[in-house]
Amino acid sequence: MENSGYLSISDILVTNEKIPCKFLHDLPKMGFLDPSASEDDLKAGTNVEIPLWLAESLHSRRPPLVAVDLPKIYKDSYREILNADACTVDMHKLSQYFYEFGCYIAKHDIKGEVSNTLINTFRQRFRMLLSASVSTDSVGAIQPLSVSERLQAAAAANTEKALSEWLQRGDSILTTANMVANHRKRKRAEMEMH
Amino acid sequence: MFAEKVIELLKEAERNPVTIDPFNDDKIRQILEEMQTLFRMNMNDANATTENKSLWTTVQVRHSALERNKRCLLAYLYSRMAKIKTLRWEFGAILPADVRELLSDDEYEWFTKYSMNLASYMRSLGQDIGYNGIDLTENLKPPKSLYIEVLCMADYGKLELEDGDVILLKKNSRHFLPTSECQTLIRQGILKQIS
Repeated sequence: MENSGYLSISDILVTNEKIPCKFLHDLPKMGFLDPSASEDDLKAGTNVEIPLWLAESLHSRRPPLVAVDLPKIYKDSYREILNADACTVDMHKLSQYFYEFGCYIAKHDIKGEVSNTLINTFRQRFRMLLSASVSTDSVGAIQPLSVSERLQAAAAANTEKALSEWLQRGDSILTTANMVANHRKRKRAEMEMH
Repeated sequence: MFAEKVIELLKEAERNPVTIDPFNDDKIRQILEEMQTLFRMNMNDANATTENKSLWTTVQVRHSALERNKRCLLAYLYSRMAKIKTLRWEFGAILPADVRELLSDDEYEWFTKYSMNLASYMRSLGQDIGYNGIDLTENLKPPKSLYIEVLCMADYGKLELEDGDVILLKKNSRHFLPTSECQTLIRQGILKQIS
């Protein structure tokens, strides 16, 4: 639910990713949407990359104003790489919101291959995720993960730490509240900067 | 391109998921201006559609951008609201001055109201069975012992205990205190439990 909420910041950042679209109607005064165009008007049939939120909203109009195409990472060539060995892909560089963005893209994929790729990719990368969450070399292991994978790895590492603390002591000392501690840390960092 | 300022705003907020940033009213003003411009252009073009039907498509694009801006602004305010709630639970009813200045006036008013609501709710708890309220921000972890040893992390000043004793909390001093009396100070980072 967290990801589809109207007020969710992460969903807003996902829908900010660009997607190739073909305009089906003339758009007067909207020439600036296409960086290579010199005219004021955008002609029907132009292919432009626009953010997903705009594409979704224009696609749902009656009649639809745009036809949505697949971004290249979800196309055949990349799909083959992902199906062969998804662990070799650096998601942070390639597509930070691979899974979330893919869920939106899957709706526009008639053949239904994108959704299979998503599941397959996660299945293959799960072991990598698991090892990243117990790894001591956190920078190197976390680097190729996408944003949501990073969050999961961090959550797993926290749980692991809490469990081992509990097993060792069976008792937990009282600590400073999270936000208070972080506020202090930041203030100290700012003081040192000035 | 539309709605780029507002994404900058959200990215700033997202960079600090655990602490609150100063309220960015300058950027919000710029975004509202962008929305005003879009709205005015749309009004003009919508009126002109009687002669030129093809303008409708442009109006729809701008309208999508307006809705997007609105959604992002609301999300920004909402994420701050969740953080302000946490402020009440972690810093207590009175905010330190350096935290207070991070909130806008309206946000501070909301904080005061939330704080009052929470206080009156906590006071009402257990009244039917003869207690006068319970402080929910205390005892977040099960207490293990009546007294604990603490180290003072900041110059706090005098603290009067329930039995009437007054102790002076100075930086780096050690004390042996009843758990119930120092746990709020521990959460606020003034004391630190040592084992």
